Amino acid sequence: MVSHNKRLVAALAAVAAMGMGLAGCGSDTANTGDSSSDGGKVTITYMHRLPDSEGMTLVNDIVAKWNKEHPDIQVKATKFDGKASEMIKKLETDVKSGEAPDLAQVGYAELPEVFTKGLLQDVTQYAEQYKGDFASGPYSLVQVNGKAYGLPQDTGPLVYFYNKAEFEKLGITEVPQTADEFIAAAKTAAAAGKYIMSYQPDEAGNMISGLAGASGGWYKVKGDSWVVNTETDGSKAVADFYQQLLDVKAVTTNPRWDPSFDASIKDGQLIGTVAAAWEAPLFMTSSGGTGSGEWQVAQLGDWFGNAGKTGPDGGSAVAVLKNSKHPKEAMEFLDWFNTQVPDLVSQGLVPAATTEDAKTPSEWSTFFGGQDIMKEFKDANNNMGDFTYMPGFSAVAAKMNETAAKATDGSGKVADIFSDAQTTSVDTLKNLGLSVSE
Amino acid sequence: MSTAEAIDKESRAAARARKKADKIRDKHANDLPRSMQPSALVKTITIVVLVFALIYFLFPIYWAIIASTKTPSQMTGSNGLWFAVGLSDLPAAIAKNYGTLIGWTRGQFWRWVLNSLIYSGVSALVGTLVAVMAGYATAKFNFRGKNLAIGVIMGCMLMPAALLTIPQYSIFHAMHLTNTMLSIIIPCCVSPFGFFLGRVYAQTSVPNELLEAARIDGASEARIFFTIVLRILAPAMVTIFLFLFVATWNNFLLPLMMVSSDTLKPVTLGLYGMVSLATFTDRGALMMGALLGVLPVIVLFLGLQRYWQAGLAAGAVKG
Amino acid sequence: MTATTKTAKTGVARRAAKPKASDAAKRENRTGWAFMAPFGILFALVFILPIIWAIYSSFFRQVTTGGGAYGGGELVNKFVGLQNFQYVVTSGAFWAGVGRVVLYTLVQVPVMIIAALALAMLIDSYIVKHITAFRLSYFLPYAIPGVVASIIWVYLYNGQISPIVKGLAAIGIKVNFFGDNVVLGSMANITTWTFTGYNMLIFLAALQAIPHDLYEAARIDGANGFQIAMKIKLPNVRAAALLAMLLSIVGTIQLFNEPQVMSISDPSISKSYTPMMMALNTSQGTLTPGGDGPASAVAIVMALIAGVLAVVYTLVERKVNAE
Repeated sequence: MVSHNKRLVAALAAVAAMGMGLAGCGSDTANTGDSSSDGGKVTITYMHRLPDSEGMTLVNDIVAKWNKEHPDIQVKATKFDGKASEMIKKLETDVKSGEAPDLAQVGYAELPEVFTKGLLQDVTQYAEQYKGDFASGPYSLVQVNGKAYGLPQDTGPLVYFYNKAEFEKLGITEVPQTADEFIAAAKTAAAAGKYIMSYQPDEAGNMISGLAGASGGWYKVKGDSWVVNTETDGSKAVADFYQQLLDVKAVTTNPRWDPSFDASIKDGQLIGTVAAAWEAPLFMTSSGGTGSGEWQVAQLGDWFGNAGKTGPDGGSAVAVLKNSKHPKEAMEFLDWFNTQVPDLVSQGLVPAATTEDAKTPSEWSTFFGGQDIMKEFKDANNNMGDFTYMPGFSAVAAKMNETAAKATDGSGKVADIFSDAQTTSVDTLKNLGLSVSE
Repeated sequence: MSTAEAIDKESRAAARARKKADKIRDKHANDLPRSMQPSALVKTITIVVLVFALIYFLFPIYWAIIASTKTPSQMTGSNGLWFAVGLSDLPAAIAKNYGTLIGWTRGQFWRWVLNSLIYSGVSALVGTLVAVMAGYATAKFNFRGKNLAIGVIMGCMLMPAALLTIPQYSIFHAMHLTNTMLSIIIPCCVSPFGFFLGRVYAQTSVPNELLEAARIDGASEARIFFTIVLRILAPAMVTIFLFLFVATWNNFLLPLMMVSSDTLKPVTLGLYGMVSLATFTDRGALMMGALLGVLPVIVLFLGLQRYWQAGLAAGAVKG
Repeated sequence: MTATTKTAKTGVARRAAKPKASDAAKRENRTGWAFMAPFGILFALVFILPIIWAIYSSFFRQVTTGGGAYGGGELVNKFVGLQNFQYVVTSGAFWAGVGRVVLYTLVQVPVMIIAALALAMLIDSYIVKHITAFRLSYFLPYAIPGVVASIIWVYLYNGQISPIVKGLAAIGIKVNFFGDNVVLGSMANITTWTFTGYNMLIFLAALQAIPHDLYEAARIDGANGFQIAMKIKLPNVRAAALLAMLLSIVGTIQLFNEPQVMSISDPSISKSYTPMMMALNTSQGTLTPGGDGPASAVAIVMALIAGVLAVVYTLVERKVNAE
């Protein structure tokens, strides 16, 4: 019995030791959040959500290049394996506890929200010198109240992907340039079991807001208060356009990130759709090669009464977080990182940097009929309407998706998306304690 | 001491007797008199139902295995019931998805599986021990505040644990424990349900007389617990262990908030990352990750089945 | 509960019997707490403190300060009294979520328990030999994490991927697992698939513990297999069934993984589809008012509702038992 007892004690001791060992092994990484300077050497931490998939230049590899050349500013990148909203929540708690990274990826739509939550550091004095490296539109999206909080990384102008060969088979010789022409063409296509547009309820908050925003912003600041109008003429045009397509069943309604969307490209049903520029490589994967070499990228037509202007869908900045003790060094690295154009392109991004021409990777141009699609994306970037996001936009986008889904089965209208966006926007601002003039 | 030995002997004898009874029962079942044999119809229906259930439970797993060898376009384009490529090309297809999986997890996949094993194993071990101790305490001792403690713990079974993650983060940060293994292990080794089971088991299977006898023999309370009580509760502990192990293995919200170092992540976090990133469409690779990620749990289940089935038996009878 | 009072009584009896009652009681108090302490400390750390924090924070809202269109770049906690609770109990979305969860519980839990019980009885009937394979196969889904199980099923519900949907379509049956009235059932199926085997094993264990002589006696009395199942087996697994039921209810009230994963394929599943989803999304700011204050209020109200349901269940159970 004694020996048995001893064995148990030993086992318990082993468990305890294991626990201690684990604590110990954790503790050397425990301070990843703090940037520390040690004898002139500065450590910068950077949290991202880039895909890092197979065949891409991994973020860690890009960072390793920097670290090799800059022994004094060592960067440690960590990838967040969750959703954008979860990452913001994590940053929020991290900032409160003082463990936040120096740099973090933040979508343009979320930047005002993240600012409002008090997670950002004003780095205007450092940003100025890098301004010339980036397109002015994205650069301004990293600003709040005229102050800069980081640098833009990529952009998401909306463009039109279409299968040229399929279009020609249907007798549609070019991308229709007006709404009426488009709807007529969509009907022709639908009669042949093809669709030249997709309505994506799960992307409504990003895409529909972008399309409507192309004609003019929803959120304006007057004095110190917000003027919200999500039911602009642009919005009405978008609602009208999609409603007509839905009514005649000349549009697919598969959610963008549901496998059914992939299937609709793969089986050749969907031969044209509005897409964000960064979708190109994903689109290629989804298609499984269907129509490779036949697809093209075109600018949006004048479908929404705004002379073919486009709007933003996605795109991210990298922001400097509040507790960073080395904003200068962080910005120095960031400028370098965000101008590593070919590496960023490999991650599927359309870089916001203007320092180097982003070249269309060869697989992309193979798929898109030899087209230099990066050039199309850049043109789209230059034709983008001004769209400012409000703080708390994620709640608005979530509501828009939900309402958009109701329009697919006829239990709601596309126009409801915008009326719901209006009420949710106003509620959100008020709940944040911001003033709204109605 | 003598009591403990007696118990030991007794329980071993009991186990032997049980085994014998089982054998006899099995034998009986197989040669029931003809009049008592079920009719052919009953037999057929039973087999049909059992096989139908078998298909229901195994089909999704079978499908996932098939799917794990497919490319995104094969997922929608090929027969869902069979591999998209010929058997000779299968290794290449598997290697491709495996490559995607390893790429996505930045070469950390197996490290994460190991982390998951550590988290689940340590949490379950420590959690089982403390739950049984507490269960035993409330079942066999009167101490001040006992009923309050029981009430509070049982009440917490109703509290959605996931919602406590944020405050837990704050508290663990104050203790400088965030981004360490302990920040996952500590929350995962506390289970009101484990306590509840431990208590029920202790109440019903530890005889008071035995404890009294041991005390009269002069055994200390600690010795009584570790040498006598733990032994009696062993099958019950397997149930709690299994429950805690699986719960920890499945948890992703806690590690999502608590750790940011790549080297500390559990495997579910990587899988969740693939699911939550809408733009990740390589679902075959995801399925492969899911299957490889649960493999250790399945091995554990199969390897320990004799033990946990005994544990479940003890629990079911007493529960 | 009854067991608690029993133990308490023996304790009292023991104390009264001994001359130095107070000493013994003191010692017992000390020993009890010593055994309780490790769990107690961890429990305080992981449950009590966070719950206190949650209750405290539920009286606050996170708002901007410093004026301007974007605020001063800082959120502050503003004491709002019971406003968060008022928001929750007057929120249609919250009650809709509670309704879904209650409906889900009312349908899914009994279906699962009955299925588990039926399978356990069939396996225990000894009609079929080599039951180990069946038993293990039924249990296997329990090893699959909820998120992964949900993903697998979402694909099996998907019209473009699923061999089930395609197969049914081929024989002329069109099903939409994401249809308005179907989607909750589709979720319930995922839960059922994952946990039926676990519950079945518990029942099986209870059944196999029933002494064999009981069956013998019944058979001699001329009972058939079905009668034995109803008259002997069922009453003997009752305790296990009631416990499994209670645990399942607690689990389904926290329904989260299934709707969360299914919302990828069905965007009409809102951010407040279940109270758990509402709480997490509120905390992450994808619902308004957002932040930890309102999120805590959602969690607390839901925990109270769960408590009431559990008490109701226990009372009903007792009443049924008494009859």
